[in-house]
Amino acid sequence: MKKSSIIGIVVIAIAIAVIISTYSNTSTYGSFNDAKSTKSELHVVGRLNKTKELFYDATKDANYFSFYMKDNKGEECKVVYNGTKPQDFERSEQIVLTGKMTGGEFHASKILMKCPSKYQDNKLNVTEVSAKKSASI
Amino acid sequence: MDTVFKGEHLLPGQLGQFFVVLAFGAALFSFICYFFATQETVAKSDNSWLRLGRIGYWLNTVAIIGMGICLFYILYHHYFEYHYAWSYTSKDLPVYYLISGFWNGQEGGFLLWMFWEAVLGNILIWRAKSWEKPVMTTLALSQVVLGTMILGLQIGSAHIGSSPFMLLRNSGIEGPIFQNPNYLSFIKDGKGMNPSLQNYWMIIHPPTLFLGSASLVVPFAYAVAGLWKRRYQEWVQPAIPYALFACMVLGTGVIMGSFWAYESLNFGGFWAWDPVENASIFPWLVLVAAVHVLIVYKNTGHSYFTATFLTLVAFVLVWYSSFLARSGVLGESSVHAFTDLGLFWQLVIGILVFLGITVYLLISRFKEMPITKKDEETYSREFWMFVGAIFLGLSCFHLVLVTSIPVWNLAFGTKMAPPTDPVKHYNVIQASFAVIIALLSGFSQFLKYKKTDTTRFFITTLVYFGFAALVTALVVYATGFYKLHFVFIIVMLCSIYTIVGNGKILADAIKGKFKLAGSAVAHIGFGLLLVGALISAGTKKVVSENLTGEQYSAEFAKDENPKENILLYKNEPLKMGEYMVTFTGDTVEGASHFFNIYYKRIKDGKQTEAFTLRPNVIQAQGGMSSTPDTKHYLFHDLYTHITMTNVITTGPKEEEGEHGSESDDKEYDAPVAHEIAIGDTMTYRDGIIVLKGLNKNVKLQNIPITDKDVAVGAQLEVISHGKTYQSEPVYMIKGRAVFDFGKKIEDAGLKLRFTKIIPGATLADGKVEITVYQQPESKKKFIVMKAIEFPYINFLWAGTIIMIIGFFMSILRRNKEVKTV
Repeated sequence: MKKSSIIGIVVIAIAIAVIISTYSNTSTYGSFNDAKSTKSELHVVGRLNKTKELFYDATKDANYFSFYMKDNKGEECKVVYNGTKPQDFERSEQIVLTGKMTGGEFHASKILMKCPSKYQDNKLNVTEVSAKKSASI
Repeated sequence: MDTVFKGEHLLPGQLGQFFVVLAFGAALFSFICYFFATQETVAKSDNSWLRLGRIGYWLNTVAIIGMGICLFYILYHHYFEYHYAWSYTSKDLPVYYLISGFWNGQEGGFLLWMFWEAVLGNILIWRAKSWEKPVMTTLALSQVVLGTMILGLQIGSAHIGSSPFMLLRNSGIEGPIFQNPNYLSFIKDGKGMNPSLQNYWMIIHPPTLFLGSASLVVPFAYAVAGLWKRRYQEWVQPAIPYALFACMVLGTGVIMGSFWAYESLNFGGFWAWDPVENASIFPWLVLVAAVHVLIVYKNTGHSYFTATFLTLVAFVLVWYSSFLARSGVLGESSVHAFTDLGLFWQLVIGILVFLGITVYLLISRFKEMPITKKDEETYSREFWMFVGAIFLGLSCFHLVLVTSIPVWNLAFGTKMAPPTDPVKHYNVIQASFAVIIALLSGFSQFLKYKKTDTTRFFITTLVYFGFAALVTALVVYATGFYKLHFVFIIVMLCSIYTIVGNGKILADAIKGKFKLAGSAVAHIGFGLLLVGALISAGTKKVVSENLTGEQYSAEFAKDENPKENILLYKNEPLKMGEYMVTFTGDTVEGASHFFNIYYKRIKDGKQTEAFTLRPNVIQAQGGMSSTPDTKHYLFHDLYTHITMTNVITTGPKEEEGEHGSESDDKEYDAPVAHEIAIGDTMTYRDGIIVLKGLNKNVKLQNIPITDKDVAVGAQLEVISHGKTYQSEPVYMIKGRAVFDFGKKIEDAGLKLRFTKIIPGATLADGKVEITVYQQPESKKKFIVMKAIEFPYINFLWAGTIIMIIGFFMSILRRNKEVKTV
């Protein structure tokens, strides 16, 4: 067999392996309800419930922030984030959480929020905060 | 409708808009002329098409420069009637940030891209000789496509391009304010620049990155020209130096971006695998692969199709990555993607134009391509260079696949989400590719071009591999790297092997075979870059571990450790790792709010070093952005970053009126009264208070003291967290009334009152009552900060610089080889 055909086969094999591993690594967008029935991490998209209390008191614990979010299906859940309160959190229009349900609370490891400003804004203010920055590798 | 607006400066905008249209028209004209010049078959042409094409291109260049001048004029004079100036700048912005305001928006980015392409086009007109016509056709076409992006034409409800010269009142912002002919007098200032972009790297990173992206068009144009004019073999040689140049500049631009990310720490390090970051290296990876295969083809005549394919695809990927960054498609997955300016379909067309050319030429010319049927030699350098290039391509394939998940969702209506831990996902898979690529760039240097003596090769390879393994073991042990996933240790081994192997080649090169020096240097740099990235990302650690936080629930504490932020009250030192840190105060300079953090390192009871870091928090556009300050050591960097503070608030400031003593007391915890004699000590939460003595000659402002009155001051010394404060509250009997004048010590959060004198039998027995008010913890000034240590980051930067030097040396060498006809 020619070497170029061997390379071709190897390339195809690796490409397929990459596709499969990527696909198996993708997560899903879900609701709080989905989160209750699974143990793995998932993304939940929703809005901050601004009428309920956002709790953050640095003097008690600088790494505890909790709030209430309504997911896109309208279900509300308490969210706990292990870090400081992201700046301008109250202004957020949409939140994408990554995390899982523990007990009755959703424990977010990452928060991505979008704060469109008053008018149209070319640069979307998307900010992401992550509680697990130290575990990067 | 016919309102005459007052105070607007319409001329620079109209002039700018004229240049926008002129640039587009001239590029289109140039494209058509160059196209016909290329298609001419007359043996003796009068070159009139060519001359017209040149004129069109020069005109285009002039128009682009004109646009730049107009836009800068508008920004410099703060003409906020223009949307661009209003959106990205403000009056208090220093001039150097006005320059970066220029490319803050997407329109400015396109302008920069066009500018560089114009510069490159002029160089090609001057140097490309017989290649000028077909190559310039492609460049002019690219200018046409870019020109449409900033046209800002409104056709019915659809609009083509988004012009940087759009007026604020036409920008789609609704508001009754624009009914007022005097509206400009209400717009005092622009929105200002996004605070995270106010960094000096933002002044040079975008121009470099855009020069890199723009210069990718040149090898693309050569490949197109080669296929189009059926000069299949000739295009490769002149294209190589340009391709190397593009690799060098694009690589530099990307690394500058990661410098910025590192310095501003907005993304937790120098690389976060954010979709926009990934998109910026797609073209780089493919082009580096293309350069290798081009050299393979030049030396052996093998792999023609791969070389051409990669060169063409690299440029298509430039358009794809700019689509990803600008179309808004990444909105849910990226931190720094732009929103859609209504250019979504235009960007798609941009990709399709160049993809179409690529596909058409590759298919229609496939049969004529000089593809060899002969098999390649296994022990030749070229064969393994080719394999390495394929793996670079695969690594890019993986990045494209994952980064494009939102695109797949859009195209196929699926609902996939990116991996929950993308960093881990990318790291592990990309590390596997890095193993192979680093290994190949190590050992293929020991192979000869075309054919090698096998036994000798195996011996040298193994000797150097053994040596590399030894070095790796040392490094891994010294840095604590062994705690990581084994894949990363293998990457480390292979990277060190690359450095060692290429080191040998470099040594040989200095002795005589200077030709290979460039590639050896570039590969050493690449190896060093990998080593730096690995150690730094792998062993960085958060120094500010918080062990004191209250537990909210056992469950919460169980899976959410360690905690990475610590709370510092003003002037209360706290032990953090090896350091004692103190928040000593804050200063305001313009929009920046600096916090002074005093670091003291203590080893075995002795102070080994002390320094102050000044991280700052910038307030702009109604938000806050924190910029860290760094202590640089040779082998590591120490970051300090404010994550939260009660010193500044974004909300409206509370009216600070005069508080009476009654309301003032609410600011404090319940008072504690102490009865003490002179020399006694009383304790409170943050330290001790000593009564030094009583002062009977107190003078009070505004209150005359007569002989009948009694006024006594208690001389108190407060020792809190290693600092000493003096205070003298006063007790007074005037007439029949008793007064006392409390004293506050703001820095210690204390208020002290002298509330009673208790006479004793003798003077020494006499006691006084001091009432101590201390501020509750939450009222005291505090910051929440995070400190991170990045070890060996300098390897990463050194590797980058060395790699760039290597590229530069290779450009010089390859440029000498070119004999353009």
